[in-house]
Amino acid sequence: MRSFAKMAAASALCILLLNGCKKETIVNYEVNKEPVYEDKARKTKRKSDAEYISILYTNLYQTPISPSQLYKTQSVIYSIGDHNVASEMVLSNYFNTSGLKIPADSYMRSNLDTFITETYKRFYLRYPSEGEKAFFKNYIGNNSNVSVEMVYTAFAVSDEYQYY
Amino acid sequence: MNRKDFFKKAGLATAGGLAAPYILPSGRLFGRTNTPKAEYVVLVMFAGGVRQQESVLKRYLEDSQEVSGASGNIMPNIFNGGFPTKKVVFGTDLPGNPKGSEPIPRILSSSLEQTGTIFNEVNAQSAGHYVGLNTLVTGSTGTAQGLKVRPRYPTIFEYLRRHAGFKATDTWFIANTIGNSTPLLNCSNNAEYGLQYGGNMFAAPVTFGSMGREILGNGKPYSRTDLEPMYFMKNFLDQSFGLTADQMMSIKNTDEERTIIKEFIRTVFQRQTAGQIVKPPVTDNGDAVNISYAAEVLRYFKPKMLAVNMSSVDGCHSNFTGYLRSLHRADHAVGWLWNYIQNNIPEMSGKTIMIIAPECGRNLNPNPILDENDWYAFDHSDSNSLRVWAAMAGKNVPNLSVGGPGNTVGRLTDIVPTIADIFGIYDEVMASPYIDPLAKSLFLRM
Repeated sequence: MRSFAKMAAASALCILLLNGCKKETIVNYEVNKEPVYEDKARKTKRKSDAEYISILYTNLYQTPISPSQLYKTQSVIYSIGDHNVASEMVLSNYFNTSGLKIPADSYMRSNLDTFITETYKRFYLRYPSEGEKAFFKNYIGNNSNVSVEMVYTAFAVSDEYQYY
Repeated sequence: MNRKDFFKKAGLATAGGLAAPYILPSGRLFGRTNTPKAEYVVLVMFAGGVRQQESVLKRYLEDSQEVSGASGNIMPNIFNGGFPTKKVVFGTDLPGNPKGSEPIPRILSSSLEQTGTIFNEVNAQSAGHYVGLNTLVTGSTGTAQGLKVRPRYPTIFEYLRRHAGFKATDTWFIANTIGNSTPLLNCSNNAEYGLQYGGNMFAAPVTFGSMGREILGNGKPYSRTDLEPMYFMKNFLDQSFGLTADQMMSIKNTDEERTIIKEFIRTVFQRQTAGQIVKPPVTDNGDAVNISYAAEVLRYFKPKMLAVNMSSVDGCHSNFTGYLRSLHRADHAVGWLWNYIQNNIPEMSGKTIMIIAPECGRNLNPNPILDENDWYAFDHSDSNSLRVWAAMAGKNVPNLSVGGPGNTVGRLTDIVPTIADIFGIYDEVMASPYIDPLAKSLFLRM
């Protein structure tokens, strides 16, 4: 009877030793890589004039604006009551200079889908909705006089571009 | 329908068309509340703190520097009276003569005092510039008005756009600087009015100065055919974003108005190059330059209401001689502008009222700063700074002299009600809770 009890205790100890120390399994969880773009509904903060000019200049020239040029542009925009008028004129000056990094009209027409998506990403930091894409595809496709310059001007003076 | 019925119905329809209220672009039902007195108003915000003594009282150096026998009028286009004959320093320079010894000849054949109404003693509501300027464009006393922010209460531009249905390009403010709070005076941040009813504005020395030429002067002259697709796409993008009224960033012109304003800016640069900018004969300070561009705006847009600011007189803080020169030139610029409207803008000639008023006065006693002639300078902070004058001339303005020392008639807050009265929206504007309760049209104080 006593030896039976010893054997039971020894068996229990063996079971405990065998099951009590199990090697830990390492599990790694990852997140699928997805580009993050802002949604227009979340743009509630207005860019200051300096931010607007700096971002616009960088968007068009792919290089930062100089402090002196920024100061002058800011002053001139501030001196005109309708800032849209001022911005449109600043843009038309930019489009009359060399050094702009913008696609050619022929590229736009032969790669319309890509151009529309790239333009939304460039100016609005987001993808276009299907409705927006359809509008531009239709409008640019049906109007041969529409140039990249016109599209960029429309984006650069639009309300959404003033917000982040 | 017989002949009698036809005439009866036609007559009723015509009368109804004339008398019935009409719907404003804002959707409001509008009916004029009084008969308009003129079609156009030019308000000159004159000119940076003006002492009564050297202006309407014509005391020249007698009261300021205690120079006996040196009284006289240095503002001949606005006030009656001959120039001082002693120690003349306010004019232009003639070779071989003391500096400033040649007074600028009067431009107008008759002074505004001879043709219009002078309110000789008016109460200013503030001894400071920005609150004073606020008072001139809002009709409120400017209490609690902060600096570097838009006016708290609606401006005359907003009243006119909202209650008289004026377009944005019908109302202009020509600022003389982008410094301080001046370029913010074209509209308030009032929730009921604000940017959607704001007037157009140029800070002319910047927009049309060297910076403006560099930043704006090389633009592509887009044709209307070019602009149409741009605006079409922009409007699509804006509708998609759906900005609310309280998120507006700028005053609103229509696409057509924006196109016209851009054409105007380009035209000014072209006229500069060709030496065609209209200007007073003597243009040796900033005020005259600003008045020049005000005239260009009047010539091009024929706006119903334009306000122009001048401020060179404020040099009086440290230079009394310079102050006298600026005062003389401000009068010269005003005389030239009035003459230009009458003789060069046929649409406005005989249909305009010009109102001139300083935003504040200056002190009775000087500060210790001496200028080149050993004359003391004056600041603006005491009760003498609350003494100003106002002048009106033009269509339906009688020839009167109202009030005088010891008999104050009028307040600077009267300017907005007066303009509202001129355009026939007096009751609507006076019903606004933001107008000084003591203010009223200057026509009712005559």
